[in-house]
Amino acid sequence: MKKLWVVLVTLLAGLSLAQTTLRVGVLLPISTVAGKAALNGVQLGAEQVNASGKVRMELVVVDDGNAPATAVPALTKLMTVDRVDIVIGGLASGVTFALSGPVKQYQPLFLCIGAASSVVEQAFSDYGRFFHYHPWDYHNVAAALEFFKYLYDNGARRVAILYEDGPFGSAGIQTYRQQLERQGYTVQAEPFKSGSGSFTAILTRLKAFRPDILYWIGYDVDALPIAAQTRQVGLEPKLIYGAPPAWPVGFEKNSLSNDIAGMTAWLPSVANAESRRFVTLYRRKFGEVTDEYMAPMGYVIALSLGRAAEAAGSSDKDRIAAELAKVQMDTPFGPLSFKPSDTGRTRYQGFNQSIWLQFQYLEGSRRPVFPPNRAARPLRFPGNY
Amino acid sequence: MIAAAILLLALLLPSLPLGEWRAFLLDTAQFAFLTSALALAWDLLARSGQLSLAHGAFFGLGAYAAALSAPALGTLPALLAGGLVAALASFLLGLATLRLHGMYFAIATLAFSEVMRTLVLKAQFTGGSIGLPVQPAFSGAFPLGSYYLAVAVLALSAGVSLLLSRGRWHYAMAATRQGEAVARVLGVPVVRVKLLTFGLSAFLGGLVGGVYAMKTLFLSPYDAFGLGRAVEALVVPIFGGLYTTSGPLLGGLIIVGLETWLRLRIGEGYLVIYGLVLILAILFLPRGLVGLFRKGVGRA
Amino acid sequence: MELLLQTLINGVLAAGIYALVASGLALAVGVVGIVNFAHGEFTMLGAFIAYLLFVGSGLDPLVSLGLAALVLFLVGSLTYYGLIRPVLGAPELNQMLLTFGLSVALQNLALLLFGANTRVVSPPYQGSTIHLLGLSFGVVPFASFVLSVVLLGGLYWFLGRTRLGLAVRAVAQNRLAPGLLGIEKERIYLLAFGLSAALAGVAGVMLSVILYASPTVGFAYTLKAFAIIVMAGLGNLGGVVPAAVALALAEALVSTYLPGGGGWVEAVFFLVIFATLTWRSWRAA
Repeated sequence: MKKLWVVLVTLLAGLSLAQTTLRVGVLLPISTVAGKAALNGVQLGAEQVNASGKVRMELVVVDDGNAPATAVPALTKLMTVDRVDIVIGGLASGVTFALSGPVKQYQPLFLCIGAASSVVEQAFSDYGRFFHYHPWDYHNVAAALEFFKYLYDNGARRVAILYEDGPFGSAGIQTYRQQLERQGYTVQAEPFKSGSGSFTAILTRLKAFRPDILYWIGYDVDALPIAAQTRQVGLEPKLIYGAPPAWPVGFEKNSLSNDIAGMTAWLPSVANAESRRFVTLYRRKFGEVTDEYMAPMGYVIALSLGRAAEAAGSSDKDRIAAELAKVQMDTPFGPLSFKPSDTGRTRYQGFNQSIWLQFQYLEGSRRPVFPPNRAARPLRFPGNY
Repeated sequence: MIAAAILLLALLLPSLPLGEWRAFLLDTAQFAFLTSALALAWDLLARSGQLSLAHGAFFGLGAYAAALSAPALGTLPALLAGGLVAALASFLLGLATLRLHGMYFAIATLAFSEVMRTLVLKAQFTGGSIGLPVQPAFSGAFPLGSYYLAVAVLALSAGVSLLLSRGRWHYAMAATRQGEAVARVLGVPVVRVKLLTFGLSAFLGGLVGGVYAMKTLFLSPYDAFGLGRAVEALVVPIFGGLYTTSGPLLGGLIIVGLETWLRLRIGEGYLVIYGLVLILAILFLPRGLVGLFRKGVGRA
Repeated sequence: MELLLQTLINGVLAAGIYALVASGLALAVGVVGIVNFAHGEFTMLGAFIAYLLFVGSGLDPLVSLGLAALVLFLVGSLTYYGLIRPVLGAPELNQMLLTFGLSVALQNLALLLFGANTRVVSPPYQGSTIHLLGLSFGVVPFASFVLSVVLLGGLYWFLGRTRLGLAVRAVAQNRLAPGLLGIEKERIYLLAFGLSAALAGVAGVMLSVILYASPTVGFAYTLKAFAIIVMAGLGNLGGVVPAAVALALAEALVSTYLPGGGGWVEAVFFLVIFATLTWRSWRAA
């Protein structure tokens, strides 16, 4: 009898050790800051999944070159040569749009990490294996507008918007303008060329407008020139509020960054258990703390995929997709579950505007200041520039 | 000879037993063909002594014109329209820059392409900075449709290039390149030679852009009018061998192939090697790749 | 009136750094006859030298200026010996491909070593402002303008008043005659190319304070520098400053007075170049 038990236990243990092995394609612009962070996150997440022993995740990493002409053949290779069924990728909107054709042709389970543009939402609207984790651009707008409403209640009336004239800056600009005017603001919007570093002339022009808020939508390269030149022309707004996808390295140590506000989905100082766990694991693997929210985003994708594969007990992409649709988990960003998108165009939307938080550079680090329930410090308004 | 062999290979590639690499090779080859075709178009103009940095703009104009007119005209007429728009632009540009040479011409064409990009960026009907979704070639009826379009554009460019590498036209272009005053004395209609070459070269560039649009299915001003593309159009012929047909043809395939191979092999930092290869090529192959095949023709 | 004055000052201040980058390039193109696509990468090296010294040992970028100039002079000389000299006799297009290869290699080497991140230095005077008669402008743009003027003044003095400098100019104006005059062309080339790189290095340090340090920081300014030297006329070193001022003023006027002008700056810059080049070519006929 005892022997039988031993045999049974060994048999069960053996069965449970029969892991599900997943080959996952990772298609990211690995020579960009966000792409590299996302890749680190995915690798970290996959390591965690593998450590649990139930699912074995093998990553096949390919550079999408941040360009359609590189990304399309790269996806084709993943699908036909490496024969993966699952792809994590889609960071830049333009590239992701170009991938929509080949994705529909090869029918992978596509876990999309970025691509906030609603043009992409349209392109994937009839594709059932599309899981979009990142909020859509209208979520981003909604989150920023909530903050603007709060500022209006605190006496701000005039907003000057500086937006870069590429797809990133110009996409939501009309919506912003209308919505801000509906809130009661007077708005003046000016385009600029990102990376040019010359804002003096535009800011001089804005002086006559006397904005309460200087809201800029551009890239990390524009952060310091705007901060410095705003002071140099003597614009003296009550708040500089920036919305780049990433901030410069070491910007918090620069005194010009003080009081500048911004929006992000995540900060290393976010105080939830999953976030702390992520920071610890990331530091152990890479020896540093990351500020890029794309890193935890990649991590979350890998973890959720591992969880779905474990529940499915199979490497079949449709069974995994069915389980992924049911996933409920805590993440560094807060709870994750998939619902149809607000426009109803795509069926599996992960995060929405609630993950965005507003922070302010205060005494050498970024601190959450809005919404109130997640604020670590009160917003300094008016700020001193 | 080399050209014919490459074109034959391009035609037969889809039916070769390539196994699992087939789809990837076809995709990569298609972009390589387009690179080669644009390089051939650039080389054509270079033969008349005009060093253009506007081929990114012709490419972009052709791409946008084809993409915008395809729903109304259908695939082939739309491509033609793309080529014609590019040719028309080149005609106007050519008239203005008729008297500019060398770097002055290059910078004027660079300026032209930067202005064009801004116009497309600011216009409403082009989708502006957000970009323009494009319909697939032949409404997606043939999976290999855009592949064969790329082969066709490559064949056309190579054909035109071959045709113009012999006969009176060839001498007229070479004479114009080596000295306009002398050419004029020799009875070469310099203005006509320059404008016609410009138009032809831009037409081909526009066609390439159109086919590219129907492959990537999405255009944005920064991608379609990129300076990188104009520079690539000039790097490939120098690498392959200037003023020849097989040079740009082979150069495009090898450069795209090399870049793809390095990216798959090395991953991060592969472009360092790519840059070094270009440097070595100039130091050791001053006449380009085709110089390898023509030993004894006075290698420096 | 005050706005106009402020705009003019903005334009002139911006011209300083344009002229600095362009003068370096003009030395390479005008004297050595090399279209150096890697000039922007030399600038980038200067920016990274300033950044690394600042982060590593807290050195003020002002101190790094001299060091960057020295290092870049060496880099320039080595580049000349190793890469440029062998192709001096080659067609212009070959030289262009060579420097393009160098540019790609350097830029991606930096990408490999430092990543694509934008990095900033933080000297205490970075945001300081001078207020004068109702006008205001930054200390850093003003200082970089003054520094550019001093450096360019020094360069012109060197070219116009010293024996060696006159030899450089002789080579710039005629590639054959100097040999007859007993001027050692190779030494002049080496000097000019080294100086060109050193100027790029100095400009790079300034860019690290005004903008940032990143593998691509040199690109935007180099493209404009090319346009500026062509507008001035190749080999015409003296024309660089007026061309830079004209273009910077055009930019400042457009973005101050045209609604939404910030999006047209680039186009106006190149339109001015295009118009100047073509107009000049037709007038000369």
